Amino acid sequence: MIEILQQIINGMAIGGVYVLIALGLTTVFGILGIAHFAHGSVSMFGGYLTFFLVVMWGLPLALAILIALVVGFLLGVLIELLAYRPVRNANHINAFIVALGLTMMVEGLNLEFFGHEQVVIPTDFSRVFNIGGVTIPELRLYVILAAALLIAAMTIFVEKTKTGQAIRAVAENRDAAILMGVNVNTIPLVVFSISTALGVCAGVMVGALFAIAPGIGEGLVVKGFAVLILGGLGSIPGAVVGGLVLGITEALAAGFISSAYKDVIAFVAMILVLLVRPQGLMGKA
Amino acid sequence: MLKVSDLRVSYGPIEVIHGISLEVKEGECVALIGANGAGKSSTLKAICGLVPAKAGTISFEGQDITNQSGHAIVRAGITMCPEGRQVFPQMSTVQNLRMGAYARSDNEQASDLEDMMNMFPILRERAHQAAGTLSGGEQEMLAIARALMARPKLCIFDEPSLGLAPKIVAEVGATIERIKKMGKTILLVEQNSLMALRLADRAYLFEAGEIVLSGTGEELQSHPEVAKAYLGH
Repeated sequence: MIEILQQIINGMAIGGVYVLIALGLTTVFGILGIAHFAHGSVSMFGGYLTFFLVVMWGLPLALAILIALVVGFLLGVLIELLAYRPVRNANHINAFIVALGLTMMVEGLNLEFFGHEQVVIPTDFSRVFNIGGVTIPELRLYVILAAALLIAAMTIFVEKTKTGQAIRAVAENRDAAILMGVNVNTIPLVVFSISTALGVCAGVMVGALFAIAPGIGEGLVVKGFAVLILGGLGSIPGAVVGGLVLGITEALAAGFISSAYKDVIAFVAMILVLLVRPQGLMGKA
Repeated sequence: MLKVSDLRVSYGPIEVIHGISLEVKEGECVALIGANGAGKSSTLKAICGLVPAKAGTISFEGQDITNQSGHAIVRAGITMCPEGRQVFPQMSTVQNLRMGAYARSDNEQASDLEDMMNMFPILRERAHQAAGTLSGGEQEMLAIARALMARPKLCIFDEPSLGLAPKIVAEVGATIERIKKMGKTILLVEQNSLMALRLADRAYLFEAGEIVLSGTGEELQSHPEVAKAYLGH
């Protein structure tokens, strides 16, 4: 029982990262119908940037994350304006190709700026808590708490603010949203800046928990889309539930079966869920 | 209040509106009638900025609003209650109503919300239900109330009775009558020509992208061609 609890806690940390990645992907997909493949690489950019600010410039971690967040916001705006806006009214395949090209560009940019070395963001959080036999490293606890906080903030933003409701309205019925007076030119900017900022947070978490290296971002975005499909496309609660389910399944698989096969087991579990609920866990049929 | 002059609309190379002119004066209820595909809805979409006008001008309260973006036209005071209700399906009734007031910045939205619930008691019952789970008639009432939440100067209804049961159609008619009595200016597109002509002060008859006849509601009701082709007697 303790062992299961232990793996669930482990899974919640990586699950939290998946949720943040998936939230960014699901809002972009819901509003613009774009599969934003570059999201993982952008998130790694945020992780790398934080690493360099801390290690090379000696900035405190909190300040480094804050700067990475601001850069993430601006990068999101740039991506929307320069990459996706020009193809907005074109055939969907165009946005798809732009997304693939953008992924390669951002990956290349990361290599050019930060090199090909594997890096780990150093933190001072080295304590380990022990609660009733379950050990929780301080860093993991903070990652889980930070993810929970960001998810809560995102939910409140979408449900309770006027702009958040406008984002939902555009996702549900674009023409009707225009008739309500929503400016559908500014909404994508808001969505991309928020989603990129969430991605940057996820990148920092990956960099602190594990490591950042070329190619990690692509793996992360694949997981993000898996979460989207598992939870239900375009659904925010779906991204939360799907991300946690995927993270915890992986941790349980790694702990009890084989860590080499954890991804296989997680994807098999995903396929099984989709056989029963093709619309995803929280998706509408 | 609203003046459309020589409006032309095309979808790609195909022109669907061939230079129409019409006018809605303040406090009036004007109906556009005609067969399916005659160009009524395209005219409304051009007025609301959902499709571009190829030629001609649209002016509202003396200001040129031709080819302005949709959200700017809403802020100018024109709100459309679209064909097929177009509620936000996963948002609750109350959230839908609040979206109706999106373009407003005053702080009387809560009391307007209360007014709408009083005007349409069914919406109070369904207040926290997802709009997509409401019946067709309930969704139509929601779409009408949502449009009124914008406090529009000109309220446009596009096919409000389409696809509804006869009893609900009568209810929709009565609702528009009430809105008219509230002093709202109304532009109504309706395939149910009899209902439209009874409600309207004036009406325009569309045929194949042109206006072929116009007059008061009674005039058109008693016009032999209209009676034969559109009213079925």
